[in-house]
Amino acid sequence: MPTTKSQRHIQGWANALPGLLLAFLMLILIASILFLLANSQTGQLQLPSRTWQTVRISTVQALLSVACSLGIGIALAWALSHRRNFLGRSLLLSLLSASLVLPTLVIVLGLVSVFGRAGWVSQLLAQLGSDLRLNIYGLTGIVLAHSYFNGAFAARQLLLQLETIPAEKRKLAHSLGFTAWQRFRLLEWPAIVHSLPTLACTIFLLCFTSFAIVLVLGGSPRYNTLEVAIFEALKLDFDPPRAVALALLQLTICAVLVLLANLFRSRSSAVASGAIPSWPQPKAQRTSQWLVIVLACLMLLSPLLAIFLDGLGADLSRLLLDPLVQKAIMTSVAFASLSSVAVVLIAIAVVRTQVALSSSLQLGLKRWATFLRASIGFSATLYLAVPSLVLGLGFFMAARQLPGKLEHWAWIALIVANVLMALPFVLALLMPTALKAATRYDRLAYSLNLRGWQRWCHVEWPLLRRSLGQATALSFCLSMGDLGVIALFGNSDLTTLPWLLYQKIGSYRSQDAAGIALILLVLTLSVFNLIPALFNRSSNRA
Amino acid sequence: MRLFPTMAVAAMTLIASNYNVALAADKPTLTVYTYDAIAADWGPAPLIEQAFEKSCQCDLVFVVADSSIGTLRKVQLEGEDTAADVVMGLDTNIAEAARETGLFAEHNADTSALTLPTGEWTDTTFLPFDYSYFAFVYNKELTPEVPASFEELAALPEDFKIIIQDPRSSTPGLGLVLWLQTAYGERAESLWEELAPHVLTVTKGWSDAYGLFLKEEAQMVLSYTTSPAYHRIAEEDQRFDWAAFDEGHYLQIEVAAMLKSSKQPELAQSFLQFLLSDTVQDIIPTTNWTYPATQTAKGLPEGFGDTSPAKTLLMSGVEVEKNRSEWIDTWQEKLSR
Repeated sequence: MPTTKSQRHIQGWANALPGLLLAFLMLILIASILFLLANSQTGQLQLPSRTWQTVRISTVQALLSVACSLGIGIALAWALSHRRNFLGRSLLLSLLSASLVLPTLVIVLGLVSVFGRAGWVSQLLAQLGSDLRLNIYGLTGIVLAHSYFNGAFAARQLLLQLETIPAEKRKLAHSLGFTAWQRFRLLEWPAIVHSLPTLACTIFLLCFTSFAIVLVLGGSPRYNTLEVAIFEALKLDFDPPRAVALALLQLTICAVLVLLANLFRSRSSAVASGAIPSWPQPKAQRTSQWLVIVLACLMLLSPLLAIFLDGLGADLSRLLLDPLVQKAIMTSVAFASLSSVAVVLIAIAVVRTQVALSSSLQLGLKRWATFLRASIGFSATLYLAVPSLVLGLGFFMAARQLPGKLEHWAWIALIVANVLMALPFVLALLMPTALKAATRYDRLAYSLNLRGWQRWCHVEWPLLRRSLGQATALSFCLSMGDLGVIALFGNSDLTTLPWLLYQKIGSYRSQDAAGIALILLVLTLSVFNLIPALFNRSSNRA
Repeated sequence: MRLFPTMAVAAMTLIASNYNVALAADKPTLTVYTYDAIAADWGPAPLIEQAFEKSCQCDLVFVVADSSIGTLRKVQLEGEDTAADVVMGLDTNIAEAARETGLFAEHNADTSALTLPTGEWTDTTFLPFDYSYFAFVYNKELTPEVPASFEELAALPEDFKIIIQDPRSSTPGLGLVLWLQTAYGERAESLWEELAPHVLTVTKGWSDAYGLFLKEEAQMVLSYTTSPAYHRIAEEDQRFDWAAFDEGHYLQIEVAAMLKSSKQPELAQSFLQFLLSDTVQDIIPTTNWTYPATQTAKGLPEGFGDTSPAKTLLMSGVEVEKNRSEWIDTWQEKLSR
């Protein structure tokens, strides 16, 4: 018997509740952190001079970075969706993900090895007898680095969307003799357009709150962000109220954007169905697709190659036998496993809530559903705008109120921080597919009275598994361990690979650091090859 | 019966091991907050711990913060009930801010062994244990000619580049602002403007800057007079040196202090005094890559070189604390063009 309307609503609520609770908890957490900080010292919430100038310049910088990242992402995703079979394609895909997860300083040094004043390109120019030397320091360098970090992620995410274009549609387009432009406009653009606002918003947040990159490649303090001012207020001047005022400003600006992005709603119901057909394409199209792929590879992979070559110069066998490095690998892997499981479970809960709130058969037609949906997306994304220093200080002060040893709370704090940081990326990967699945299969599922676990097994899992594999791998690598957030906890038992790397660089040991970067790179690549494969295999058996 | 002796030995071992455990539990713990480079496995902390525990009948524990200033902020946040007995690794530029918190006690140490370039040490709260000068480091092979002053640097063609750090997030960065201020006073402001075209970039911390320098992105990087010693001694690489500036070099003295709230002030005091012993002072140069604060019997390792700055510059902590924000503001304005 098909499910009645009121039953559907009850089920809708049951689906929505866990995610709603989690989102609510996240909002409470943010509010209490700011409250704790604001009350920790007496003083007035006051913005320093120059704040608005900083906001203006950061906005311009972030908008430029978003435009470039999306441009690269769309072009590369388009090219890769048409070139489906070539040697090294899957390696290329996992390399694309590596750029987002390696420590910032490693990527910056990789970029500089290629595009710097003494980098490969400059050396090549010198060999060719040109006097030209690249100088990337300034807005160029910042946008280059930001597009580097986010362009590859955008490409990966959009490729997943393009792969959901149904084979029937592609066949139809082919038989109607669409030109490449018509195909893009009528077929491919609609498949990706709905995920663009959230993607753009996530990238904007990352660039708007960037710290080390805007300084190191910015050439002058001109391009610094509010994050730098917050650091100054907390660390150098120890003026928490000023830091809170600045953090609130940053949060408000980002909140408006996140809310706007979350008001967009996916109307597309396309989901992947079977193998993607391919036809011989005109030579001009093939050439341009190859051109995009080759250019993107040159830009995205050459810094990784530099990191790889640098790493080979290190004494790798000594490093791998070093108990400290072994311990760091173990700790990183342990943390990443715990965090990625937590992230994916939470993300699934949030996704189910969002689906229930947007599906017209569940709660989607209620007037407040849009508002709730926006606020959940809001609380899940907003942590990208919370400075890690503020988050760390908040955790530290909260942990001091709790019983038990401070060092033990460091573990919890680190996992929570990892989850909050990885959640927006994971949601960006899962949400579009999940929404499409719901729009397409809700009616069928209800008429067959599929619910709960059964529905998950038969409807969501087969469609989401590819995205879930990607999401798990990404959150695993994102959680490998930047310890910034628990710096105050003073837990010296926690040694992760990124932390060890920074510690080595901080005491002249740049060769060792290059070796550790190589280990991280290899680890990341293995994870991006292994975890998605696991997801694919288990579903084949099912 | 063969069994009896075996059992007796086992019992005795058991008693003895229990006794050891009891002893360990009775030992007081001395907690020292310090920053990561000191606490690192290859830093001075593990060696100091080993040496101090030989005689102190105590358990010495180093707790790591992410930076020198981070140790102070941690203590401040924890207030009266901090676990720290001693904080090690503040520098004279933030010592004044630390004094103002009122959390630190007098060190009561015998400072007669100190041989600092500033002469006699009068601070009764903060005890120095090592020092170094800020300096621009360069690669002799790539840059045979280096300027001998800020004025000379400013007059060079624009493609002579330096990498510096942001004073808001980095100790050397702040050191450079104070260096120019001490050497040039009023003139510092206009000099920053002239130096701006030579600044390739400003980084968040020392690591980013030094990393870029090793990638040969700029001719010189803001670091320490003791940096070349690392390359000479640890890497047997003779290519690096520091550029001696005529106006003198700004001094960074690292200090330690004990907390008023410490429950074992005597132990803390003996640790502070131990920092000035030949044992620790001989550990410091090749683990922390700074000059020792005293003249030890063994002396400084060869790779440190025998040239020292023409003049030592240092500003009083009170003056730093009073003007810091204003100077950083000027710096930001002049470099942001």
